[in-house]
Amino acid sequence: MELVIQNLSKTYPNGVKALKDVSLNIPKGMFGLLGPNGAGKSSLMRTVATLQEPDTGSIALGDIDVLTQKEEVRKVLGYLPQEFGVYPKVSAEDLLDHLAVLKGITKNRERKELVKALLQKTNLYQHRKKSLGGYSGGMKQRFGIAQALISDPKLIIVDEPTAGLDPAERNRFLNLLSEIGENTVVILSTHIVEDVLELCTNFAIINQGEVLMTGNPKEAIKTIEGKIWSRSIHKDELERYKLNYNVISERLIAGNPEIHVFSETKPDEMFEAIQADLEDVYFAKIKENSLATETA
Amino acid sequence: MFEFIKFELKYRATRPATYIYFGLLFLMAFLLVVTDAQIAVGATGKIKDNAPSIITGAMQVIMFFGIFIASAVMGVSVLRDYEHKMSSIIFSTPIKKLEYLAGKFIGSFIILILISSGLMLGLMLGQGVPWPWLGDSKDLLPFNFMAYLSPFLIFIIPNLFAFGSIFFAGGTLAKNMVTVYAQGIVLFMGYLVASSFLGDLDNQYLAALFDPFGLGAQAYTTQYWTISEQNSKLLSLSGVILQNRLIWFGVGVFALVITAWKFSFNLAGKASKKQKKSKKSTQEVTVPDQIKIPLAQQLFGFSAEWTQLKELSIFYFKWVIKQGPFIFISLAGIIFVLVIAFVGGTQGYDIELYATSSRVLDLIGIFNLFFIILAVFYTAEIIWKERDVKMNLIYDALPYPNYVSLLSKFFGMVLMSILLLIVLMFTGILIQFIKGYPEIDSHVYFNTLFVDTLFMMVLYVFLGIFIQTVVNHKFLGIGLMIVFYISLLALGQLGVEHNMFYFARASIGTYSEMNDFGHYLSPFSWFNAYWFGLAIVFFGLSILFSVRGMEASLKNRLKLGKLRLNKRSAALIAGSLLIFMGSGSFIYYNTNVLNVYRNSDEQEALQADYERELKRYQDIIQPKIVDTYVEVDIMPFQRDFVSSGYYILKNKSKEVINQIHIQKSPDYQALTTMSFEPEANVKEEYEKYGYTIFDLNKPLQPGESVRMNFKVEFTTTGFREGDSNNDVVFNGTFFNNSQYFPSIGYSSGFELGDDDTREDNDLEPKERLPERDDRKGIQSSLFGDDADKISFEIIVSTDSSQMAIAPGYLQKQWDDGARSYYHYKMDTPMVNFYSVMSADYEVIKDTWKPPVDTLPEVSLEIYYNKGHEYNTDRMMKGMKESLTYYTENFSPFQFRQLRIMEFPRYRSFAQSFANTVPFSEAIGFIQQIKTNDVDLPFYVTAHEVAHQWWGHQVTEAGVKGNAMLSETMSQYSALMVMKQHFPPEIIKEFLRHELNSYLIGRTFEQKKEQPLEFVEGQGYIHYRKGSLIMYALQDYIGEDSVNIALKRFVNDWGFKDAPYPTSKDLLGYFKEVTPDSLQYLYKDMFETITLFENKTEEAEFTELPDGKYKVDLTVSSIKYRADSLGTEDSIPLDDWIDIGVFAKDEDGKDKLIYLEKKKIDKEENEFEIIVSEKPEKAGIDPINKLIDRNPSDNVKDVEEAVSS
Repeated sequence: MELVIQNLSKTYPNGVKALKDVSLNIPKGMFGLLGPNGAGKSSLMRTVATLQEPDTGSIALGDIDVLTQKEEVRKVLGYLPQEFGVYPKVSAEDLLDHLAVLKGITKNRERKELVKALLQKTNLYQHRKKSLGGYSGGMKQRFGIAQALISDPKLIIVDEPTAGLDPAERNRFLNLLSEIGENTVVILSTHIVEDVLELCTNFAIINQGEVLMTGNPKEAIKTIEGKIWSRSIHKDELERYKLNYNVISERLIAGNPEIHVFSETKPDEMFEAIQADLEDVYFAKIKENSLATETA
Repeated sequence: MFEFIKFELKYRATRPATYIYFGLLFLMAFLLVVTDAQIAVGATGKIKDNAPSIITGAMQVIMFFGIFIASAVMGVSVLRDYEHKMSSIIFSTPIKKLEYLAGKFIGSFIILILISSGLMLGLMLGQGVPWPWLGDSKDLLPFNFMAYLSPFLIFIIPNLFAFGSIFFAGGTLAKNMVTVYAQGIVLFMGYLVASSFLGDLDNQYLAALFDPFGLGAQAYTTQYWTISEQNSKLLSLSGVILQNRLIWFGVGVFALVITAWKFSFNLAGKASKKQKKSKKSTQEVTVPDQIKIPLAQQLFGFSAEWTQLKELSIFYFKWVIKQGPFIFISLAGIIFVLVIAFVGGTQGYDIELYATSSRVLDLIGIFNLFFIILAVFYTAEIIWKERDVKMNLIYDALPYPNYVSLLSKFFGMVLMSILLLIVLMFTGILIQFIKGYPEIDSHVYFNTLFVDTLFMMVLYVFLGIFIQTVVNHKFLGIGLMIVFYISLLALGQLGVEHNMFYFARASIGTYSEMNDFGHYLSPFSWFNAYWFGLAIVFFGLSILFSVRGMEASLKNRLKLGKLRLNKRSAALIAGSLLIFMGSGSFIYYNTNVLNVYRNSDEQEALQADYERELKRYQDIIQPKIVDTYVEVDIMPFQRDFVSSGYYILKNKSKEVINQIHIQKSPDYQALTTMSFEPEANVKEEYEKYGYTIFDLNKPLQPGESVRMNFKVEFTTTGFREGDSNNDVVFNGTFFNNSQYFPSIGYSSGFELGDDDTREDNDLEPKERLPERDDRKGIQSSLFGDDADKISFEIIVSTDSSQMAIAPGYLQKQWDDGARSYYHYKMDTPMVNFYSVMSADYEVIKDTWKPPVDTLPEVSLEIYYNKGHEYNTDRMMKGMKESLTYYTENFSPFQFRQLRIMEFPRYRSFAQSFANTVPFSEAIGFIQQIKTNDVDLPFYVTAHEVAHQWWGHQVTEAGVKGNAMLSETMSQYSALMVMKQHFPPEIIKEFLRHELNSYLIGRTFEQKKEQPLEFVEGQGYIHYRKGSLIMYALQDYIGEDSVNIALKRFVNDWGFKDAPYPTSKDLLGYFKEVTPDSLQYLYKDMFETITLFENKTEEAEFTELPDGKYKVDLTVSSIKYRADSLGTEDSIPLDDWIDIGVFAKDEDGKDKLIYLEKKKIDKEENEFEIIVSEKPEKAGIDPINKLIDRNPSDNVKDVEEAVSS
């Protein structure tokens, strides 16, 4: 089963172009969707999750036409939205059971076992009787993945699942995801590059509604190897560097900015070559894209 | 703080809702006063359209809907910061709690006041501008800004403050809107409870004090305001209004203090989350890799959907009922119902009815309003539930069909309703047990609660779901529901009256213990099929177009709707559309084809045309009925009757009569045919009015007679729109000749009576009765000009399970198959007024032996519905006692029989026919008379028996003042019988209510208040004022003197044909027995409208050396003359008024130890009275014999004098 997205476009009533002619082939396994906030990741994912209509384009999941056969998609879909709430006064066990019924697990015994296993898997079993209102962000997020895993979905969509999690929780969460990613199409959207690097066999970078690149993370890094340069500068120099060089990222180290520059050749003596990583790929692409739109 | 105020104001200024609310109030106010809807707030008759009372009333009515706006504005103020997750940002900034709260409150409150000013502007613009469609402005007073500002300041702003504070507290502390709604509902309940107390004379003040809206205080203050006062006086912030406003201002402040005290920046949820986190970090856990997630079978299709439906329905049901506000609303509702059941809900004279199942259900029927409120708010909440907790995307991506989602929400609401109804049912049963009437009529409970109420609720839930899904905005949806509900109330003003236009309207009718639900069940079922058809179409559309996922634009919803349309949903929509149209057609066929439907405008136009076209025949000379013979066959279960018979018409005039004019029954169900012997031909026929003019082949010479045969076939086919015919019913048929039998000549009774309506139909205003000396008027009796007295014979047949009764003596009774025949004949002439009744009766018989041996015994009978025997003894006693008193004091009773017959509660009165008295099920029969109550069954019986004299022995002329002869004298007679048999306290209680009813009655006068001698059908005068005047008269001139006058009056005027007596004649008899010193009374009592303002200013006593007591009294008296609109002028005093002193008897009750009439000829008067017992109270007119608008200040506690 493969998810094929073709020429998907969407403009919101307020004029924002959320998706511009997006085409993606997403095979089984983990697929990372990388992009800054507001890039159109959530729009794309909601469209795949039957919750939103594109203006043009098509989506097929195997034989299923996602845009017209919504019921069929929902039967095999596990979806974790970017932001979601829960009934604060209902326990995790009850709500999961409730959602399982709606997913079609109508046999009581089977459902009970499934709910139990899912809670154990997501390490919520000891908290199963607790009201969801008392859950921490990480627990809630794990509850979210538990509900997305009900009924062995063929397509799992998780939208920014690691946002707001502390590092330990994030690890736990990613482990959980990696386990299920083998036989299923899993789309993971994130703005955190490590997520993709650690988990995904394939990924795409998306910004301002456009797909900037797709591929394998390791191969992507190879494309920019030797072209990323770094140096530490003084705060006051930042503007000048930005004007003169292709600065793709900056971060403060001990109070002074360290900048990364994308360049075929060494920009100047003070720069040193560094081992490029996926983040540099990401920032380079974003930079390229924004320059392109500015000049256009 | 000013930052917050500024921020709040700025934010609100950008919100469309602010302007929508303002516009809504403006529009409602404007429309209310520029359309006929203003009648609802009292702008009728002589009250000017922009009278201060109308402006106040209009403001307050609209303010009810303003509660919703106040809750939306004030409730969300702080709540919004939570919902937008702003709270954590705002609260982390270094601000002071009080500043934040005060800023929020003040900002929102300013907005709320600005919004509400729309109300005032709407009224001013509506009334201040001479809109062309309003016609001439003679109904308007000069524009007076204060008339708008003053009620706005006295009522609206304090209400907004009190309610706003409460809502602010609710929204801020509970952090949900449902709590705020619940508060609104409870406040509204407070108003309802208060208004039910207002009717009770002993609790009025309490109600005025505590009504949250201040309406009670206003009603209490203005309850006796006459028309001219309503047109001119502005309310002031004083007295009970001030007290009420202060109480609610205090409540508002209290709510704010509580808010400030309890509110905390620490977000409750956050705190517990933090706890959890710290706990968790101590227990390091790893993902249990070894767990294999088992495969579970996913099932789809019908059985899975059924399981999902059950699961979700119960889930929603539990969610609703577990909510604090729901429990709160239900409990408050139940308490409210209990309060109503135990305190309110009395009939006149504060009499309670037995707590039968249907009676209790009537009382708790007010809960229906809460059902609609719950339907509106909880449907909105339940539709938005997933979105409100932000779980909608998860739910929407689940593979369960849309219909399961909406249907389960619907079922959740239905289950909630059923639960509430069960609770309500047990509350009703509990009330019945506590009130000592444990006879539970299960089918009444079932039909009323689980059919009538539940169906209505279900329809409103369907509508709510539809509106919420289509509008897709929670508050807008709720607002629309409210607007929809109000516009249903206003629709009637546009001439749209047919029930097919009133969503969810289907009346199961009035339950009568005699007639059960009668014939109402069939139209009820059809109307429900009709509304359910429509509601399910709505529901089908909701399934298609409800939002799932992110797409809310109409275009995309239509696109998705098309995708969702499948055979099942298409079949559902088409099927229910078919039911809707099919049952609609059937209803239309019944109401408008099989039966005649006219809205009130059409009905009025018909009456106006009748008057215009036929009034010219009003004065032509016609023969009079002298003999009536009729056979009536009643088919109660078909609701048909056929009557055939004849009148003998005699030319009593001195002229030859060539033509006879016959008016058939205006009821289209009655088909009338006629023929004459000797023959007459139809000369002209006005089919539209059922008016036919016959040419007599042989002119009728003076003194000659002609026989008119007639046949009336009354048939019921299908059902009628609205109020169906309640005269001919399954059990309890009751009608009289004037309703269905042909009458002679033009009927001025069909003319439009109300001057406003007449004006709408281009007719001149009309006097309600002819002048007292009108020549034609005194020639015709109060029963009309068709006859003087008639000979009467009737054979009534009915189904053999029932008994048929008409006036007269039973000659013969026989059965023929399944029918029973009753032949009645009256052996003396009687008035032309007779009833025909048929029902399954029980009977109690007794006889009355007259005090004079030469008079025949009278057989007394009461025909009643089985189970209604509670008060038959009182009625029987009432008949005996009054027959004795009237025979001894007025004249012998003219019949050998007197019957009381019960009829169903569709109408509630008793009416005296010759030797028969039909008596409604709704009064008398089921009243629960307690020790200190006025014995109402006794009183009503005595009143009706008195009519055998005042009406039947002496029949008065049909002119102004007529009811003084029949009704006032019957009130007097009944009062005298009561005075003989009940203690003075009961009589005092009775008169207290009479005074109250009179003073209130005159505030509703539509045309002009008349002095008693010119009363023109004004019940508050001829009954209520009549009782007071006659009681005072017999007190002044003596009961014996009054009775002597009446005896002479009967002797001279009894059993007489035209000309008939008028009030002038009767007053002559009274004046004859009155000493000169008291002749002035007639001017005050009968010839003018005179009121007193008697008051005791000071009362002191000193013990005298001889053990007696000296009472020093300072009293004040003002005497007023009022004109027909109640404008009063004080006039000089020269009156005899009671001065009295009370002591306490052994039981601690008031005992009159001194009562004497003193001459009062100036305003301030002092009296010194020596009494032999220790005085407790003293005063002027202490037992309220005179008409006084403040009767309670007549008496004062007597204080011991301080020697100086």
